[in-house]
Amino acid sequence: MTRLLLAALLMQSPADPLADRALAAAQQGDGPAAARLWQQAIAQDPRHYDSLFNYGVYLHRNGAQREAVALLDRAAAVRPGYQVHLIRGMNFQQLERREEAIRAWRQALPFQPRNVKLMQVLSVEYSRGRYFQEAAAIAREALKVAPDDENLYLLAIKAHHDAGDLPAAAELAAGAVRRFPNSARAQFEHGYYLQKRGVTETALQHLHLAMDLDPRYEEPFFFYGDLLVKLSQWEKALAPLRKALEIRPDYSPARVALSRALMNLGQLPAALDELKQAARLDPNNAQPWVMLSQIYFRMGQEDEARIAKETSLRLRRENPGVLEAAQPRPFPER
Amino acid sequence: MGHKPVRVFLLFLLFCAAGRLLSQGVATRNAPAAPRGAPSGRPFAATFDDIGTKAGLTSPVIVGNAAAKKYIIEANGTGLAAIDFDRDGWVDLFVVNSSRLEGFGNTTPPTNRLYRNTGKGAFTDVTKTAGLDRAGWGNGVCVADIDNDGDDDIFVTYWGPNLLFLNSGKGTFEEAGARLGVAGPPKEWSSGCTFLDYDRDGRLDLFVTSYQQFDPATTPAPGKTSNCEWKGMPVFCGPRGLPFGRATLFHQRSDGTFEDVTQASGIGAIQGFYAFTAVAADFNGDGWIDIYIACDSTPSMLFRNEKNGRFREFGVETGVAFNEHGFEQGGMGVGVGDYNRDGLLDIVKTNFAGDHPNLFRNIGGGIFEDSVLSAGLAVNPQYVGWGVALLDLDNDGWQDIFQVNGHVYPELDRGGRNETYRQPWLAYRNLGDGRFEDVSVVAGSGIGVKHSSRGAAFADFDNDGNIDVAVMNMGEPPSLLRNALTGSMRWIKVALEGVLSNRSAIGAVVTIEAGGVRQTLPVLCQSSFLSQNERRLHFGLGQAARVDLVRVQWPSGKTETFDGGTAGTTLNLKEGAGRK
Repeated sequence: MTRLLLAALLMQSPADPLADRALAAAQQGDGPAAARLWQQAIAQDPRHYDSLFNYGVYLHRNGAQREAVALLDRAAAVRPGYQVHLIRGMNFQQLERREEAIRAWRQALPFQPRNVKLMQVLSVEYSRGRYFQEAAAIAREALKVAPDDENLYLLAIKAHHDAGDLPAAAELAAGAVRRFPNSARAQFEHGYYLQKRGVTETALQHLHLAMDLDPRYEEPFFFYGDLLVKLSQWEKALAPLRKALEIRPDYSPARVALSRALMNLGQLPAALDELKQAARLDPNNAQPWVMLSQIYFRMGQEDEARIAKETSLRLRRENPGVLEAAQPRPFPER
Repeated sequence: MGHKPVRVFLLFLLFCAAGRLLSQGVATRNAPAAPRGAPSGRPFAATFDDIGTKAGLTSPVIVGNAAAKKYIIEANGTGLAAIDFDRDGWVDLFVVNSSRLEGFGNTTPPTNRLYRNTGKGAFTDVTKTAGLDRAGWGNGVCVADIDNDGDDDIFVTYWGPNLLFLNSGKGTFEEAGARLGVAGPPKEWSSGCTFLDYDRDGRLDLFVTSYQQFDPATTPAPGKTSNCEWKGMPVFCGPRGLPFGRATLFHQRSDGTFEDVTQASGIGAIQGFYAFTAVAADFNGDGWIDIYIACDSTPSMLFRNEKNGRFREFGVETGVAFNEHGFEQGGMGVGVGDYNRDGLLDIVKTNFAGDHPNLFRNIGGGIFEDSVLSAGLAVNPQYVGWGVALLDLDNDGWQDIFQVNGHVYPELDRGGRNETYRQPWLAYRNLGDGRFEDVSVVAGSGIGVKHSSRGAAFADFDNDGNIDVAVMNMGEPPSLLRNALTGSMRWIKVALEGVLSNRSAIGAVVTIEAGGVRQTLPVLCQSSFLSQNERRLHFGLGQAARVDLVRVQWPSGKTETFDGGTAGTTLNLKEGAGRK
C-alpha cells in the first residue's frame, strides 16, 4: 500500500500545483495571473496536458486563436481526446482554416462516434467548403444513429441535393414523409422533389398538404404557385404566391413569380408594382430588376427598361456568384 | 502523471465562420437533368455515320497542348465553314486551324485547310493551291460574297491580325485583311464574326467579336485563384477574372475598303463581356438586320438595328441575356430557325456543363421566352455544348436540333471524375407540339463517338437532299457525319441572290408554304459555334410533293413572292424577279 502511494506521488507532475493555482485564478477572473501560472507549469513540464489544454482554451476564449492552436496541438499530441480536438476545430474555424477545422473534428468523432451534433456540424462545414459529397456522407451517418430526428433528415436531404445526388435526396424526402407524415417540412421536401422529377400532380398534392399543415410556412406556398406558373396556370398561381408574400413580404422569388403570372395575364401595371416592391424590399437582388426591364420593354417604355437593366447588371457585378450554385469539390485529405 | 478529469471552462459552439461560397471561372449552376418525357415511339429516320477520314478530311486541328491546358486560349477551339468556293454545286469545307504556345520545333505548323468536294464522296485538300495555307492562332470563320462578284470570300478571326481571303473565282484566294481595313489590332483575340448589311446599302459590313484581351504574361497560372478551378481541380483561369473582350463593327465603303464604326454605331457603348458566336438576323421582324451574340459567363447580347446606322443593346429587356431564372450562362453556340412554325425566328443557344441550353421562343415584337424546360431540352446538362443548329434533319417539316459537345479541361480524363473531356453529340427530334425528344441513341453510330468538339457546319455535302454535319474536334481531324436518311420524306432547297440587297442575301428571311403549312428560315452568315453553314436553305417537306409559294423578305427591305416548285429541287431566286 505504501509502495502504491509512493508510486502515485512519484507519477504526480511537478506542474500540477501550478496548474491548479492557474485554474483557480482563472475561475476568480484573474486571467493574467492564470496565464503566468500556466506558462510556468508548461515550462516545468512541456507535456503537461492540463496546462496545455486549459491555457489553450483560455487563449481561445480571449481571441488569441493562433496561440491557442499551438497549445492545443501540443495537448492533442500528448493525449488525444474529444474535447481537445473539438476546441482545436473551433479555433481553426475562427481562423477561417476550414479544412483544418474539419480534420480536427473528424479526429474528435471516434471518441464519441454517436455524437450527432458533431456530425451535424461536420456536414454543415463540409457544405460551406463545397465538399458536398462528404457533407452528404456524414449526414447519412448521423441519420443512421438517430433515425427519428426530423432535422437530420432535412440536413441529409439538403446535403445530397447540394452534392447533385437528386435521386438520393428525393429518396430521403420520401422517407421523411413516411416517418413524419404530419410534418409540413417533410411534405414540402417530398413535393419539391416530385416536381423536380416532373410528377407535377402528386407534387402539387404534397405541397398543398404542407400548406395545410403549416399555414405560416411560406415555401410550400411559393413552390405551389411557382409550379402553377410553370404549368401556365397563371390565374390559379396568384393566390398561393400572394399568401407566400403575406407571410414573408421580402420573399423576392415569390414576387418575381407573381409578376410573371400577372405579366402573362396581361396585367402589366400590376406586375410592375409587384416588382417595384420586390426591388424595394430586397435591394441587393438583381432578379426583380431583370423582370422590371422586360416588363417596361413590353410596355414600350424603353428608357425605363434600360435603367432597370443597368441596375440589374450593377447588382450582379456587386454580388458575384450570388445567382450561381457553388461547384462541388473533393475534400483535400492533406 | 495522474489521470484526473480535466476541468475546462465553458465550451461555446460558436460555429459562425464566414459562409462565402467560392466561385469558379465560368458560369454554371449544377443544373440537374430535367425529367425526360415518355418516348414518342415514332421512328427517327435520320442516321449519322462519320465518314470524315474516309472522305479525305485527315489533317488534325491543333489547339494548344492536348493533355493539359495552361491558358483558356488553348481550350476554345475553332470553327469551320461550308462553302462552295468554286461554284460547282458541291459544298466544300474550310477548316480553321490553330496553334500551340510551345510552338512546333522543327516541324511545320498546322494551317487552315480547304477541302474541295469532288462530288464523289471524297474531298481533296486544295489548301496550298488555293493560297490558304496560313498558320496562326485561328478561331472563327464567316463566309460571304463581300465584293458582290459572285463568289464567296472567307474571313478568319485570329489571336493576332484577322485575315480576309478574297476569292478570285479561279480557285485561288488573295489575303486582303489589312489592305481593306479589317485586320484589327495586332494582339486582339478575335472570336466570332458575321457579315451583314446593317445600313441596307447593298454592301456587306462586318461585325467581329473578341473573346478577351489575352496576354499570357499577365494571366494567372492554373489553380491560382478561385477563377482557376473546376470542382476543386486546378485548371486554366477564366474567363472570369480576365480582361473582357469587345465588339467591333466595320462599315464597307463604296470602294470596298472598311471603316471602323464601332463608336458611331453605338456598338462600342456596351462593354464587359466575353463574346463568342455572332449571328446576324432580323430577330424582331422589322425588316432590319440585328445581331445576337452568345457570351460566356456574362449576359448574352442582342443589338437591335435602329435603322439609322446605329444599334442599341436589348438582350436583358428582350429575354435573351439570361436563362428563364435570370442566371448568367456560359454561352457558346447559336442556332436560329423557327421551330414552332409561327413565322418568328427562334434561337437555340448552347452553354457550359451543369447548365441547360436555351430555347428562346420568339413571342413577337422581338421578345423571347426561354422554353428549354417545356421543350424537353434540359435533359443533358452534363455536356459542354458548342456547335448547334435548328434544321430539319429528317425532312418531316419540323426543325430539329443537332448539338456537338466537348469539355474544356483535358485533365478530366486523368480519372477519378464523373466528367470526361470527350463527349458524345446530341440529336433532338422536333415532335411538332413545342417539345423535342432526344433521339441521339438511335441517330446512327457517328453521333455517339466521343470527341471534344467545338465548331459544326451544317450542309448537304453529298447533295442527296438531307443535312450532313462537319465537326471540328480538338486535336483530331474533323468529322463528317453523313446523314443516311431513309423513308419517303421530301425536301426543297432555296438559294437566293440579292440584287439591291447584298448578293449573298445574308439577312433574308424565307417562308415557304407547302402542304398547307408554313416554314421559315433565315439566311445566316456565322452561326453554330464560330462556324458557317451552307447558305442555301434546306426545307423538309414531309409528304408534300411541291412547294406552293415562297415569300422572301430581302435584306434591302423589299418583300417578294415567288412561285414554288417540285420537291427534290433547288429554287434559285433572284431579287426583283418575284412578285411584290
